[in-house]
Amino acid sequence: MQAFHIYYRNTQGTLMRILTAVSRRALDLNYVHAEAAPGGPNPGGPTFKVTMLLDVNPKQVGQLRRDWYAIVDVTEVRIASAESVTDHASSSWPGATPHPPATTRGTDETVRAARA
Amino acid sequence: MPNATTLSATAPIPTTPQAPQLKGGEIVLKCLRAEGVDLVFGYPGGAIMPLYDALDGSGVRHILTRHEQGAVFAAEGYARSTGKVGVAMATSGPGATNLVTGIADAKMDSVPLVCITGQVRTAMIGTDAFQETDVFGMTLSLTKWSRLVKTIEEIPAVIAEAFYWARSGRPGPVIVDIPTDLMKAKAEFSGPVRFAPPAAEDAQGKPAFAEKLLALLETAKKPVALVGAGAKISGAITELRALLDYLNVPAFATVHGLGAVDPDSSYYLGMVGMHGTRAANMALHETDLLLVFGARLDDRVTGDPTRFAPDARIVHFEIDPSQLDRVRPCDLPVVGDLAQTIPAFHDAVRKISLPNWSAWRSIACGPDRAELDPRGLAQPTIRFLDELFSRLPKDSIVLADVGQHQMWAAQRYHTNSPRGFITSGGLGSMGFALPAAIGVQLAKPETTVVCVSGDGGFQMNIQELATVQRLSLPIKMVIVDNKFLGMVRQWQQLFYQRNYAETDLSDNPDFVEIAKAYKIHAWNLGEEAMRQFPVSDETGGLLESFLHSKKPELLVFDCQREANVFPMVPAGAALSEMVFDDE
Repeated sequence: MQAFHIYYRNTQGTLMRILTAVSRRALDLNYVHAEAAPGGPNPGGPTFKVTMLLDVNPKQVGQLRRDWYAIVDVTEVRIASAESVTDHASSSWPGATPHPPATTRGTDETVRAARA
Repeated sequence: MPNATTLSATAPIPTTPQAPQLKGGEIVLKCLRAEGVDLVFGYPGGAIMPLYDALDGSGVRHILTRHEQGAVFAAEGYARSTGKVGVAMATSGPGATNLVTGIADAKMDSVPLVCITGQVRTAMIGTDAFQETDVFGMTLSLTKWSRLVKTIEEIPAVIAEAFYWARSGRPGPVIVDIPTDLMKAKAEFSGPVRFAPPAAEDAQGKPAFAEKLLALLETAKKPVALVGAGAKISGAITELRALLDYLNVPAFATVHGLGAVDPDSSYYLGMVGMHGTRAANMALHETDLLLVFGARLDDRVTGDPTRFAPDARIVHFEIDPSQLDRVRPCDLPVVGDLAQTIPAFHDAVRKISLPNWSAWRSIACGPDRAELDPRGLAQPTIRFLDELFSRLPKDSIVLADVGQHQMWAAQRYHTNSPRGFITSGGLGSMGFALPAAIGVQLAKPETTVVCVSGDGGFQMNIQELATVQRLSLPIKMVIVDNKFLGMVRQWQQLFYQRNYAETDLSDNPDFVEIAKAYKIHAWNLGEEAMRQFPVSDETGGLLESFLHSKKPELLVFDCQREANVFPMVPAGAALSEMVFDDE
C-alpha cells in the first residue's frame, strides 16, 4: 500500500482527472481525502490536496506519478508511506471509520422514489 | 516537471476603448478569430444555434459535414496537415457524444483540437433536459483540458486558455462546453485576451543528459534511432535529419514518424513494428542502444514488451513525461521539446569521436535484410498502390483509413514530407480517412490529396461524400475493396482457425453507383489489371486521369478477398518473430 499526496489547483474537473488516472487502471481507492491545503506548492494561488491510499506496484507508481503531472492543474505529487496516512486518518478524521453504504440510510420511501 | 499556470493569468489584447455589447456567440467567434481560426467544421443543433446565428460576417468559415464525427475528423485532418489547431463544433447531447471518438483519436495521436459544444441552458443543467449530456464529464479522460463555461464574461479567457493547452507541449484535444443561454446573452466585450503561458521549465539541454548520453554512445556497438510523431510535431525535422546524418546509425520510423526521415537515406530501414520491415524490426531487436525520438513505444511498435529490444539501453527523447516507461523502463529520459533537445544533443555529440559502427551498419542495412518481393494474394494490391503512388506529384498527402490497406499504404508510400502520410494510428478509428481528407484538402487546396480506405471503413463515414461534392474538393478517394473487414479477417485466418465471424461484407453496395448518386465520378479497377507487366496503357491512363482530375474522384480497386498484410509480428510475439506469408 502506498500513499500519494497530489497538490492541485481546484479548477473544473482537476480532481476528477486525478481520480480517473486511478480508475482507468481498475485500482481500488482504499482511502481518498481531498482538502484545501493552504501553503501548498502553488505560488500565486490557492492549493488543494488529495490524499489516496493505493495498492500499486512500482511500475504503476511511476506511471501514476507521470500521469498526474501531465494534468494541467496538478502542481506537485508526493509519495509517502501508507502508515503516515492511516495513522493520521484513524485518529483525526471520523470519515475514515468504516460505515455502511449510503443507500441503507435512506428511507424505504426515498429509495423507491429514486428507483421509480 | 509540473505544469504551472494560473487561471487568472490573462491579459487583454489592446482594443477599442469603448466596449460594445455583444452576444456570447459573437464573442466566441471573435475569440476564435483572435486565435487565428478562419475555418471550423461542425454540425448545428438546438443548443448551439446562437453560435451558428453569429457565423455570418464573423470571418470564420464553417464547413458543414454530414455527421459530427465527420466534423471532428475533418478538423483533425486540418490540424494534422498544418500543425495548426483544428476546430470542431457540435450541439449538446448526441452532437457532443458524436465528437467523442474524434476527441479520443486526437488524444492518442497528439493532435491539437478545440471542440466547442453547445450545452442546455444553465438553469437546466443536471435535470436530464432534452439533448443534455455531461460531455465535460464523459471526456475527462480523453481531453487535455476542458471547461463548462459558467458566465458570459469568462468566455474570452476560456477560449484563450483552450487554445493554449491544445497547442502547447504535447498537443491534444480540449473541450469548451457553452450553455446556450450564455451564447444568446449580451455582455460588454473589451476584446480577446491572451493566456499567459506558465514559466517554461528548463528541462532541455541540461549537461547531465548529454554526458550520460555520450557515455552510452561511446560504448554502444549496435545503436539505432527510432523516430515517432513527436519529431514532426516539434518542428525539428531539419535538426533531426542533421543529427541522423551525423550519427549515421540505422534508423526507422513508427507509422506516425513516416516522412520524418528522408526515405532515400542509406541508413533508413523503413517502418518498424507489427507490419514493419524485416530490416527495421531485426535491427530493433538486436540493438544495444535505442535512441527514441518522440514515440510512445506502444504495443504495435514493441511486440511482446518483455522481449522488446532485449539487449538495449533506451534513451527516450520525449516532451510528455507521462509517456516514459509505459512499456519498458528507459535508461535515460530526455524530457523536453525535441526542437531543443535534439540540437543540444547534436552539439554535444560533435565534441566526441564516435565509434566505428560500419560493421553493424553493413549488417543492419545490408542486402541480406532487404525486403522480400511481395508474395501471395496481396501482390496485385501492392502493385496497384505502387503504380498509384509512383504517379503522385512530390509533396502529395496520402491518408489511410484503418485496416489492411492502411498498412499496405504505410509500407508502400515512401514520403519525404513530414506531414505526407496521415492516418489514425493510436486509436485506429475506422472511418477516419474520408472526413480527415476533407480537412486536409481545405487546408492545402493546391496539394494532391489521396484518401485510401477499405470497404468497411469507407462506409463508416460514407455520408461525407456529400461534403466532398458540395465543396467540389478534388480528393482522390480509393477504396481497396476485398468485401471483408480485412484485418480482422486476417487475424481470424491466422489465429482463429479461419472462423470468419461477422467479417464478411460480400453484400457491399456498388460504390461506383453510390458515388454517382452523390454526383461524384467513379472508376472501377479489377486486380487482374495489375497482373500485366508493365501495366497496360489503358490502366496507366486510368490512373493518370484519376490523379490529375480537378474534381473529386473515386476509384474502387477490387482486391483479392483473402490477401494478407506481411510481414507481420503476431500479437504477443517478439519483433524478431515476424512471419512473411500464410505458411
